[in-house]
Amino acid sequence: MSSAENQDSPAPPADGKKVFKRRGFQIFGLGLQDVIQFFFSGNASLAIIILILICFFLAKEAFLFFPDHHKDLKSYRQSGQEFVGFISEEVKAHTDLYSTANIAYYAEVNRTSGKEDTILRTYRTVLANVENRSAKTWNRLERELDALEDVVDDLEDHDAEDEEDRAEIAKLTKEKNRLEALTQPLRDKLRKEVNTIIEWEETWDLGVGADLPAEEDIAKIREAVLFEAYPDAEDEHPFIEEMKSVSKEKKAVVAEELAEFKETTKAMQAAIRPLKDLERELKKPADENKKEITSFSTAPQRRDAWLKGAEATDDPDEKARMRAKAEEVVIEEPDYEKINQVFYDSIAKHATLAAPLEVEMKNLYEQLPAPTEVETKSAKENLKRAAVFYERFQDRMVSNRKQIKEWRHDASISVPESVSAFLFGRDWTTNSSWHDFYGLLPLFTGSLLISLIALTVAVPFSIAAAVYVNQLASFREQSMVKPAIEFIGAIPSVVLGFFGILVFGEALRNLSQLEWLQWFPGFPMAERLTILNAGLLLAFMAVPTIFTLTEDALNNVPQAFTENSLAMGATKLQTVFRVVVPTSLSGIIAAVLLGFGRIIGETMVVLLVAGNKIKIPDFTEGLGVIAQPAHTMTGIIAQELGEVDSGSLHWRALFMVGMVLFVISLLVNFTAQKVLKKFQRI
Amino acid sequence: MSDQESEETLSPEHSSVTTSAQQPDTADIVIEVDDVNFSYVKGTEVLRDITMDIRKGEVTALIGPSGCGKSTLLRCINRMNDLIPTAAITKGEIRILDTDIYDPKVDPIELRKHVGMVFQKYNPFPQSIYENVAFGLRIQGIKKKPILDEAVERSLKLAGLWEEVKDRLDSSGLGLSGGQQQRLCIARTVAVEPKIVLMDEPCSALDPISTTIIEELITQLKEEFTIVIVTHNMQQATRVSDKTAYFYLGELIEMDETIKIFNSPSRKETEDYISGRFG
Ligand SMILES: Nc1ncnc2c1ncn2[C@@H]1O[C@H](COP(=O)(O)OP(=O)(O)OP(=O)(O)O)[C@@H](O)[C@H]1O
Ligand SMILES: [Mg+2]
Repeated sequence: MSSAENQDSPAPPADGKKVFKRRGFQIFGLGLQDVIQFFFSGNASLAIIILILICFFLAKEAFLFFPDHHKDLKSYRQSGQEFVGFISEEVKAHTDLYSTANIAYYAEVNRTSGKEDTILRTYRTVLANVENRSAKTWNRLERELDALEDVVDDLEDHDAEDEEDRAEIAKLTKEKNRLEALTQPLRDKLRKEVNTIIEWEETWDLGVGADLPAEEDIAKIREAVLFEAYPDAEDEHPFIEEMKSVSKEKKAVVAEELAEFKETTKAMQAAIRPLKDLERELKKPADENKKEITSFSTAPQRRDAWLKGAEATDDPDEKARMRAKAEEVVIEEPDYEKINQVFYDSIAKHATLAAPLEVEMKNLYEQLPAPTEVETKSAKENLKRAAVFYERFQDRMVSNRKQIKEWRHDASISVPESVSAFLFGRDWTTNSSWHDFYGLLPLFTGSLLISLIALTVAVPFSIAAAVYVNQLASFREQSMVKPAIEFIGAIPSVVLGFFGILVFGEALRNLSQLEWLQWFPGFPMAERLTILNAGLLLAFMAVPTIFTLTEDALNNVPQAFTENSLAMGATKLQTVFRVVVPTSLSGIIAAVLLGFGRIIGETMVVLLVAGNKIKIPDFTEGLGVIAQPAHTMTGIIAQELGEVDSGSLHWRALFMVGMVLFVISLLVNFTAQKVLKKFQRI
Repeated sequence: MSDQESEETLSPEHSSVTTSAQQPDTADIVIEVDDVNFSYVKGTEVLRDITMDIRKGEVTALIGPSGCGKSTLLRCINRMNDLIPTAAITKGEIRILDTDIYDPKVDPIELRKHVGMVFQKYNPFPQSIYENVAFGLRIQGIKKKPILDEAVERSLKLAGLWEEVKDRLDSSGLGLSGGQQQRLCIARTVAVEPKIVLMDEPCSALDPISTTIIEELITQLKEEFTIVIVTHNMQQATRVSDKTAYFYLGELIEMDETIKIFNSPSRKETEDYISGRFG
């Protein structure tokens, strides 16, 4: 306020204090500028403080996982569960081999009855669809028919000669007539409905896939469905019966041919039985040991809880009762040597079972037909996979033989061992009655595979689109394409996931049935929710990120470069690919990295669409692995964190998964920045 | 390539256009600007009635106050203005070696291979020195290493840069000093052996020493190339050019021997501009 005066009257030259005085609004000696600055810097530092708090919280919860996990692993060993686990591993390796051989056998048996099987499958699916869609009328008719049947039964029980029954008979007959009058229009209505439904294309699409029978067979299937589409239809349509018997005959012929194959698979199944029995036998003591150990380790807490309860209550009786309970809690360390004796005793037994099993499986494996000796694609592929599984089985037997022999319940677990049990653990099993495993590998490979698919699709597409829009498109095209692509980013991911479940998954599976697409890895797909489905949707989600950042990078290329190149007589395309793109390469790489960060952190879509099967995808199928379902690091957190007790090992494990995600994101962002800086020379 | 041949075999026919040029002989006229009007946006002419001949082996300087259209004229000569959608020559022709360069049959891409351009802001591509110089040849589809090597060495020597960079041809062109970068751009331009080199204020972003080096370079280059240079530096014009053209508000006021323009210009406007009495 006083400053106004200063401005008006010329300041006396000698009075420096007055001339240089701060002017305008002030509080606590701070000018307006300072206050605004303080406000903004305050906001920025608040954000940083919150970030630090989040990191700290996450890190604290996550790293407490390791000591707990270590304890858990120790009890797994001390209870002898680990010993049983070795045997289970062997059984599992065997099951993989056996079931693959079995699938190959059945694929081969069905090789000549393909046509009939397709007809039967189509018939069943269409019939089910029809029943589904006409369910309302269908159920009503069914009810009335049941009632009618009851009445008819009742009528039969009554004797027309009997005086007493006559009145009853008259009543029942009336009811019967009423019901018959009722069912007839219902029957007509159902007939009409079925007729309409069967004309719908959807009825044939749903679940039938693109693998439809021939035209003339479809006409017959239609007829059979119409014939069968009643709650009281009795015999099957002759066409269907014929197909069934033909299929059966054909299979029988092949099965005879393949008798030896079948024997082999059966023998394989039988060979493992003794080992499986041993596994089952040993599971019981291991389970009991585990309980004992758990009860020992939780005993002090239980006693404290009773004592605390006793303190809290005023009722002297209650107090005494609780004190007594506390006294009852035994804190006695189990005699590990003793409780594990049963396992040490069965080492020899295991050896006597394992050696002949190995020999027998070797023989049986050699008796399996070679992939070249079978005809169907599925049988060939599965026999090839069987070779891999056989190798794994052998390796497993060899390595476990040693481990079982040297097993000690009191061997210590080193820190690297416990850490790698998490980072490289092959199982993520929770809420199990046996033992919970927290191995990151299934989730990590799931996330990685999905991201890789998403990147391989999104990167070329987005970069090409960005180059085109930025460099070659006309202004009109630019103003249409850019907002469209950027709009993708505005779609909520849960909506995309929904779309993935309902529309895209089905469409993709139908597409995978097409004859001329069979070269594509993983086709035909049996499932709707797969790695491929999730990967493609995530690719779609990553497009705006990569597109926009790439476009920015291209925009950052100075106009002068383009001009220079054109002035040298380069064409527009030469300029784009020899000057503009190489110059913006670092920006493009950063765009891809950030796109990767976007993909690997995405939760909703993968949770809904990836199939959520917690298992390392089966890489013996080669690239076909993309047709399998998987679970992801983000998905598991979203799915399980809500249901676990806070502070439990499972809870901490989920935090640790979050930590791993956090570190990946951090690394990706850091690398992206480094790349940008390193090449930023213009 | 075929285009190049056709242009080379074009016999420079005698043209009937005569300006105030001293030499009546028109045999070595390379660029003929014939009564040209040019506008960026329809309706506003930026160049009006420009008529001038540029001769082989000479350096022609274009001078004039800012915004008078010097750069515009230069960019008309290699059709860089084509990149601006609305820009067009509205009257007259520009002929190079007797070919109307705005003829629909002329491919601007081919034309630019013969009419090189050096810009005010030196701009090597973010690639190695070698790749920068080889750029023009590579886009013409030349891949043979010996040919490229030879061309790179020759061009760098022409640009007076060879001795300074011959040991680090693979390092980035952006690691050079400003003057060196501009000479690298000159080497890049001359590597494709154009007939004409257009220079738009090539020294205005450089220090005096680099400027001197490039001026010397220009006097050497004129033996091989026809050079048109835009400059705001009067001394530079007198030092390097044979002819000088003075532009004012989109019109060519006067064009003559440099000595004559600077000593006894025939127009008052020119004299005012040169002597700095320019309002
Ligand atoms: N791309 C363009 N679109 C529209 N008008 C332009 C464009 N480029 C230049 N002009 C106009 O054309 C006129 C001539 O510009 P030009 O760049 O040729 O001048 P100049 O003589 O080279 O000036 P300077 O010495 O400052 O470089 C100016 O009035 C300018 O505003
Ligand atoms: Mg200019």
